[in-house]
Amino acid sequence: MSTQGILLIDFLGLGFILLVINLVRTHRLYVGFGVVWLLAVAGLMVMISIAPLRNFITLVVGARFPASAMSLLAFVFIFGVLIFFSMQLSALSKRQIELIQSLALKELLEQEEQVEKEEFESENG
Amino acid sequence: MKPRVLIVIPAFNEEASIVSVLLGLRRIVPEFDRVVVNDGAKDATGSIVAELGERQIKLACNLGYGRALQTGLKYALIRGYDIIVSIDADGQHAPEDVPRLVEALIERKADLVIGSRYCDGRPYTGPISRRLGQLLFSHMTGFLIGWRVYDTSSGFKALRAHVCEKIIRATFWDFHTETIVRLSLNGARISEYPISARERDHGRSMHSYMSIVEYPLKTLLLIVVAAMDGLLERRTR
Repeated sequence: MSTQGILLIDFLGLGFILLVINLVRTHRLYVGFGVVWLLAVAGLMVMISIAPLRNFITLVVGARFPASAMSLLAFVFIFGVLIFFSMQLSALSKRQIELIQSLALKELLEQEEQVEKEEFESENG
Repeated sequence: MKPRVLIVIPAFNEEASIVSVLLGLRRIVPEFDRVVVNDGAKDATGSIVAELGERQIKLACNLGYGRALQTGLKYALIRGYDIIVSIDADGQHAPEDVPRLVEALIERKADLVIGSRYCDGRPYTGPISRRLGQLLFSHMTGFLIGWRVYDTSSGFKALRAHVCEKIIRATFWDFHTETIVRLSLNGARISEYPISARERDHGRSMHSYMSIVEYPLKTLLLIVVAAMDGLLERRTR
């Protein structure tokens, strides 16, 4: 990869890192997701900037060209992120369901308690 | 001492049938307590139940049948009931069958009795997709738990509270085949009792066209999960 290409990707990567940090800072991105994206961008920048590492990864994954190795790693990363997001959504959904159930149960239990209290008071004058 | 029984009725947009269901239950089994779980109904179900002076758990939005039923079961556990009966709000189950189901639960010393539309040699009815699904899941339970349950998707069940405690934290997407597998592998005694059921007169079924594909796939996944949980629990015991 040419020096110009590496510089361009590193420049874009830095911009992306700043964007993620700003999103976390302004509470528009959950810190857990922020970490995932920061690690992904930093990993990509390191892999692209260090030629021996790039060549080593290409060799390890059995690819002929570094670009193919990067595509494979990107696919694995996207798959992992999707699983992670699905888990987070499921956790949120579970919490929401439990909250809705608890609220509904609390409302009924309080109503019943109130009725019992009124009955007790009327019985005892 | 007589067991305390709670009838749980999950209801979503059942304004046309909820009155007859509740009045029928009041007439047939006045000694049993009832609770309607209003699953975020957008019609007059909630106000009708309130006008009738019935106990109602109002969910803020529609959580689906399984989650609504789970809420009712949680209420039963909080209030210390001994037996819980689930019945559909669409009027397809006869209130006359409620005391019979409870009696069967007590006499057979069972943990769960399923009000079955298909046991005793009665054929599967309804559209071909439903019949195929019933057949598949019925045989699947037979394979997994060692004996065949003919009506795996009946919403009419009676179960003991101590059994309910074991499954209250499970995935309540549905409360059918996966629950039967989970409970059976947990050592619960399950039995079927023949009931009469009729098709709904009013309202819409909770199953859409999408559910022809979605329902069996989700159920299959949950059965696998339940079977795995059961096997792992047996190992740890």
